[in-house]
Amino acid sequence: MDCSYFCSRLNQFVDGELGYLEVAELQGHLSFCPDCAAELARISEVRAAMAAWGEAELAPPPGFAERVLARAALDPVPGSRRPFGRVVSDTLDQLDEALGRVPLPGGRTVPVKNVIGYGIAAAALAAELQRRRLRRLRELKSL
Amino acid sequence: MLPDPTPADLERATAGDVDAFRTIVERYQRMVYSVAYNVLGNQTDAEDAAQEAFLRCYRKLPQYRAEATFSTWLFRLALTASVDYRRREGRRPEPVEVPETAGDDPALGDGISSSTLVAALHDLPDDYRVPTVLRDIYGLPYQEIADLTARPLGTVKVMVHRGRASLRLRLQAEREA
Ligand SMILES: [Zn+2]
Repeated sequence: MDCSYFCSRLNQFVDGELGYLEVAELQGHLSFCPDCAAELARISEVRAAMAAWGEAELAPPPGFAERVLARAALDPVPGSRRPFGRVVSDTLDQLDEALGRVPLPGGRTVPVKNVIGYGIAAAALAAELQRRRLRRLRELKSL
Repeated sequence: MLPDPTPADLERATAGDVDAFRTIVERYQRMVYSVAYNVLGNQTDAEDAAQEAFLRCYRKLPQYRAEATFSTWLFRLALTASVDYRRREGRRPEPVEVPETAGDDPALGDGISSSTLVAALHDLPDDYRVPTVLRDIYGLPYQEIADLTARPLGTVKVMVHRGRASLRLRLQAEREA
């Protein structure tokens, strides 16, 4: 097997996504291939630099906190009665947290919130279609 | 990790006490801004998204349950606000500017300075930077990145692999220059 086969596995290796046998196979190759070993070292170096950078605390621009507070002050008090739209969205968020995700064919998942969102849209569409059908019936009757 | 606000602080902030909310903003602003800056790659967008994260925090305070630490809860809000911001708004072209860091600059490795890494991240296309930052700076699982960015899992992995490759080449070039 050539280097391109192993090279494509280096990312999976650093992500801990290889099985035991695949790791052993890769390590066997790395022990005698300086090119792939160097490539692994460079990927690891980037990841280490990124992780270290994540520890740095960056200072927001001057006056940031004041601007946030000024915007919050325009908002209704958090626990007070909320506009209907936000109540719906918060309820969907809570359902989402409680119920998790819905599996789709092909191994993907979608948040419950989205499914319910589609459900509401579908119900609204069905209601509209029904309304139009009734109106058409009435029009026909009146003829 | 920063100490959580006291239950009394949280209760006062939830009741609309702006001074209590001020202590929360002042304590966590660097953490929230750092997340937004790293995800978005420039200061103007980062400020907008960080503000948005704090507003969401303010609005959702009544929903906060002490099961998660407050900082973890706020960190998730900062991540989602930043990713949502990127999906909603186009990127503003802005020259790279390294924000001031609190304390000493972190040691990033041989010949890698903060400004080199920040510039390299700034120049990555959003499609690469966002998932790569979520994966390698914040250690999110791929599935979570796929959910947050509304991309298929396989695509996210490819983007991260390419993001790493591009950063690697850039850092190498800087070192050789
Ligand atoms: Zn090789």
